[in-house]
Amino acid sequence: MELLPQALADGVMLGGIYITIAIAFSLTYGVMHVIDFAVGEWIMFGAFTGYYLNKWTGLDPFLFLPVIFVAYFGVGYLIQPVIHRVLSGTKGNPFLMGLVFTFGLAIMFKGLALTVFGYYSNSIPSMFSEGAFNFDVFGAAVTIPTVRLVGLAYALAITAVLHYMLKKTNFGLGVRALAQHKDAAGLMGVNSRRTGSYVYGIYVGISAMTGVLLGCILSIGAQMGNEYTIFAFFVVVLAGMGYLAGVPWAALLLGLVQSIFMIYFNPSHTLLAVFVILYLILLISPRGLFGKGV
Amino acid sequence: MKLGFVRTLLLIAALLVACPLFAAEQKSFKIGVITELSGDLVTGGNITKRGYDLWAQEVNAKGGIDIKGTKYPVKLVYADAQSNPAAGAAAAERLITQEKVDFILGPYSSGVTLAVAPVVDKYKIPMITGSAESPLIWRNKFKYTFGTIPPINFTGATSIKTLLEMKPTPKSIAIIGSNDAFSKATAEAYKGAAEAAKLKIVKFSIVPSGQDMTPLLSAVRSMKPDIIAFGGHDEEHVKFVKALRQIGYTPKALLMHCGITDKAFTDAVGKDGDQIFGTTCWTGTAKTKSKILWPNAAAYAAASQKAFGNPGDYTQGGCSAAGIAFQVALQKIGAKPGMDEAMRAKLVKALEEVDVQTFYGRVKFATAGEYYHANVGLDPLTVQIQKGKIMTVGPKASVEAAAQYPMKEWKSR
Repeated sequence: MELLPQALADGVMLGGIYITIAIAFSLTYGVMHVIDFAVGEWIMFGAFTGYYLNKWTGLDPFLFLPVIFVAYFGVGYLIQPVIHRVLSGTKGNPFLMGLVFTFGLAIMFKGLALTVFGYYSNSIPSMFSEGAFNFDVFGAAVTIPTVRLVGLAYALAITAVLHYMLKKTNFGLGVRALAQHKDAAGLMGVNSRRTGSYVYGIYVGISAMTGVLLGCILSIGAQMGNEYTIFAFFVVVLAGMGYLAGVPWAALLLGLVQSIFMIYFNPSHTLLAVFVILYLILLISPRGLFGKGV
Repeated sequence: MKLGFVRTLLLIAALLVACPLFAAEQKSFKIGVITELSGDLVTGGNITKRGYDLWAQEVNAKGGIDIKGTKYPVKLVYADAQSNPAAGAAAAERLITQEKVDFILGPYSSGVTLAVAPVVDKYKIPMITGSAESPLIWRNKFKYTFGTIPPINFTGATSIKTLLEMKPTPKSIAIIGSNDAFSKATAEAYKGAAEAAKLKIVKFSIVPSGQDMTPLLSAVRSMKPDIIAFGGHDEEHVKFVKALRQIGYTPKALLMHCGITDKAFTDAVGKDGDQIFGTTCWTGTAKTKSKILWPNAAAYAAASQKAFGNPGDYTQGGCSAAGIAFQVALQKIGAKPGMDEAMRAKLVKALEEVDVQTFYGRVKFATAGEYYHANVGLDPLTVQIQKGKIMTVGPKASVEAAAQYPMKEWKSR
């Protein structure tokens, strides 16, 4: 049991990474009711932007987070009307069309990235990459890498900001109204198109910033998007589709299960364990951990 | 009458135009290439592509393959295996039945090769993979599949043997492999070598591909192994080094098999890549001599540097050597483009008899036993990254620089 404190610490740090991947994805699903399969590709684009900005300027990639957020907010704001048009069609099944559309975007972005950035894996250096906090918990040594702690702090900060925005601002009130009932929100004066564009912009901006963080902690590459899309989807389903407050808990649960399973059981069955747990929870509570999903 | 005359003239003109084109088409060897040009293994797939392209470029620059005084250029027809065995098998089927290729240059990964090999056996089309290393391929004894890189169970023990010569002698090892055909085989090869050398194996784990391995490495750290050996692919190598760096554990030796010899790895991890050990069977400074295309390893590395801005690694070299093996066998049987089944069977026989010195070293395919149709002509090398350069540190006959051991602490780099 001497490894338990480290396993828990690693699980929480891993959970922090999953929060950053899934929180904005959940927000955009809650409002637009679209599963954006391109979430991993937005993360990848953000990672490469951070990589090149660091390479060209030599400055720490974390300094560029605000610039990256603003730039990708703009990109998301401009793209959302196209997705909105697909989703608000009257013929066929707009929900399925939305799925296919974002899936197509993901494939196109991946191809574009392979052409522009090449096929090699890379890494983003940061001043936070090298240090670690070491301490004893009941005689057991625990190490928390600085960069992962920064990742957790970033995840909690993003969660707090989104929570504040949704609960304490007029814009947030509009977003929540839109999530509950689009037509009724419209009658109350909420501009659904503009609000949707803002939300999608915020989601793309946060995802791009997350890419920089992941590039510092793990690695970057044109193909990196796939695995993050899967984990984002996993966390959001576990939290309850569109239920933002459930995301941190679902992400932490996923991180802890992975960490504990990797240390105490057969690591080759880690993903199997994670998905079995997801299926069991969904069998018992089909609307996610807290029963509050859409 | 007049219309008929015009039609006849048009028909004659069309035949005149078409015949030389048809004849020109017949004069090139049409070679199918199945490799991973998209998906998770796109990096390796493109490295194989560079190797095949460089061979074809060099052959065509010399006018083609000389068959009894006539030169036949080569034409590569690519099919993307998408890093997916099923897609690789479908690509092979398409290249054989629709593109009617003469023979095939094979995939980057062992997983895709294992799916393609039964297809080429079914259609009796010879294939040489310039990359795949899993022993499973050769244990299946596919008649039409060959490989220029020796299997990992043939090469893997070399670096363990080199590490056992270090002082103080390492006593324990943790072995981790990613869950794919090649990486798993690499981990198992290390395990076999460690058991034979009576090293204490404190951990042996196979993990799902692409996972964050930090929790597992935290557990490994508590066991304090002298050596950590990892079998994986390029992206996983970068993640693995960063995870070890982040948890602050420096083993006395960190061993990774494939991928560290490519310049991209040192570019990605920078100074953290220094002193990492690897196993290979070729480097750009290997002492080889050849009369075919490139006179030695250095000439090949220079040609690659000129073509791609990268001197190439053992995978790329293995792919170019695969082309040379075909070239030698085709010359031996006097094959011409558009080979029939009997000629392709002869080509397999000729490949089995190939024993040639190339820029890559000796190419000689085994014709029996567990390495059936794998290249057993090469001597495996232990390499180490020293100040960003790949240096051969073992076995003794090939040493370029003394091995640096134990590894310098991450924090003091």
